[in-house]
Amino acid sequence: MFVSSYRVTKFALQNFWRNFWLSLITLSMLLLTLFTINLLLVLNVVTDRAIALVEDRVELSVYFYDSTQETTLSSAVAYLRGLSQVRDVEIISADEAYQQFIQRHTDDAQIMASLQELGENPFGPTLVIKADQVGDFEMIIDALDNPQFRDSIREKDFSDYQSIVERIQSITDRIQVFVIILALVFLFIACLIVFNTVRIGIFIHRDEIAIMRLVGANNWFIKAPFLLEMVLVSFIAVGITIAMIYPALILIEPQVDVYFGSQSAGLFEYFTQNGLLIFGGEFLALVIITFVSTGMAMKKYLKV
Amino acid sequence: MIRFKNVSKLYPPNVVGLDCVSLHVQPGEFVSIVGKSGTGKSTLAKLLFAEERPTRGVIEIGGWDITHIHDRDIPLLRRQIGVVFQDFKLLQKKTVYENVAFALQVAGVFPRRIREVVPQVLDIVNLGNKLARYPKQLSGGEQQRVAIARALVHSPKMLIADEPTGNLDTLNSREIMDLLKKINEFGTTIVLVTHDREMVNRLRRRVITLEDGKIISDVEEGRYKL
Ligand SMILES: Nc1ncnc2c1ncn2[C@@H]1O[C@H](COP(=O)(O)OP(=O)(O)O)[C@@H](O)[C@H]1O
Ligand SMILES: [Mg+2]
Repeated sequence: MFVSSYRVTKFALQNFWRNFWLSLITLSMLLLTLFTINLLLVLNVVTDRAIALVEDRVELSVYFYDSTQETTLSSAVAYLRGLSQVRDVEIISADEAYQQFIQRHTDDAQIMASLQELGENPFGPTLVIKADQVGDFEMIIDALDNPQFRDSIREKDFSDYQSIVERIQSITDRIQVFVIILALVFLFIACLIVFNTVRIGIFIHRDEIAIMRLVGANNWFIKAPFLLEMVLVSFIAVGITIAMIYPALILIEPQVDVYFGSQSAGLFEYFTQNGLLIFGGEFLALVIITFVSTGMAMKKYLKV
Repeated sequence: MIRFKNVSKLYPPNVVGLDCVSLHVQPGEFVSIVGKSGTGKSTLAKLLFAEERPTRGVIEIGGWDITHIHDRDIPLLRRQIGVVFQDFKLLQKKTVYENVAFALQVAGVFPRRIREVVPQVLDIVNLGNKLARYPKQLSGGEQQRVAIARALVHSPKMLIADEPTGNLDTLNSREIMDLLKKINEFGTTIVLVTHDREMVNRLRRRVITLEDGKIISDVEEGRYKL
């Protein structure tokens, strides 16, 4: 068994070198496929982080009437802080709300004029609530229907981040579909090329194979070099991908991070933490796919 | 050793290769199969080493029914049968030694055993002094002897030779025939397919004559008729 493995390995390496250009094309195609798959992963990570970041900023503003008592307000704050879903409650006093409004609309003469006309501060105090998860807001809104202070609430405003999340999602979904299709096309071409490489390999070695059969070579001895060659090519493809992806991430990461403000997109981190899973999985997938193509080519042309 | 029971071989669509052939060969026999071209001699040989399957009938080799032999069992059969052809089927890029060793390598034999056996069989065919030559550097007769050495490397019980002298001149042919006789004397059953009248007549062994896929004569110590 050991002896045979050595010989099979030797034959596989011979196949690889004798077919060098063909092997190179197979390798390139596998590389392209891996590239698109990893691009998909990068895209996924970035999208997830972006959505998390946006969701982090989702807040519920609760506007109280300007007549609201201090005690009613603080009991509402205490009540909300007591809810497990609530991450943070920020209190904006009537004055602060007024100042913020002026600041925001200082360029809008019409609004400023109508504010002037009112003469007094039309704003009441506001509570800005952040939840642990976006889904929790529904529950918090229900909780605000508390008889203690519900009559003091003028308006509840759920900042419209949901639509931003949906927009990000729909854009990345579309990019993803495109990249997935690209990956599938590359994969399909890779399969065809593997099939063809094996077919030509069988053709080149037809004399040897005929003689092997004649002298009673084990069937797997005839097949194994072709399979092993594909394992080798898959291994090299994944190896090159690993060798290229980490430096690439180091280069790209700072540029992506810009969009995430102080936070990092965590690409490099993601690929280091899941490296074994990602590249082990990709290697395994390539081996399986190339084995299927090789098997089909051998079935058709080897007739062992 | 060999038993054919009403064996027919039809090639698609309906070319008759062999037509209801029955025969029985004892272990240690030297049988010549003769006949005109296209009468099914090679078909008979191919059925023996399972290159083709019979359309009808039963084939037994050494008590093993190979009529419906499974693909995965064919290597096992081939290691018990040596085969040589008119065109030698040697690997041009391998030396004499490597060509013979190849047959053992692909069967997973250990290197030490290969180093032991290969020179032995090459001595039997008188090529012990040309191990490092390439097929191109050998005469036709010598190349055929390499092929015979390769066929002998698994110590087969039977050797099938399909027109082994077809590409050789008389002198080389005689050498090959003498070698086959020598191998037969060691106890290996030999099936020789040929249409070389002189060779068969010199042999004075059993001769089976085929015509249109049928056996038309089967005589001990026969001569090539027609
Ligand atoms: N693979 C094949 N497919 C179709 N017909 C074949 C095949 N091999 C042989 N034949 C036909 O079978 C007949 C016997 O062929 P063969 O056994 O090669 O004859 P021989 O060796 O006596 O010259 C011939 O008519 C030949 O054309
Ligand atoms: Mg013939």
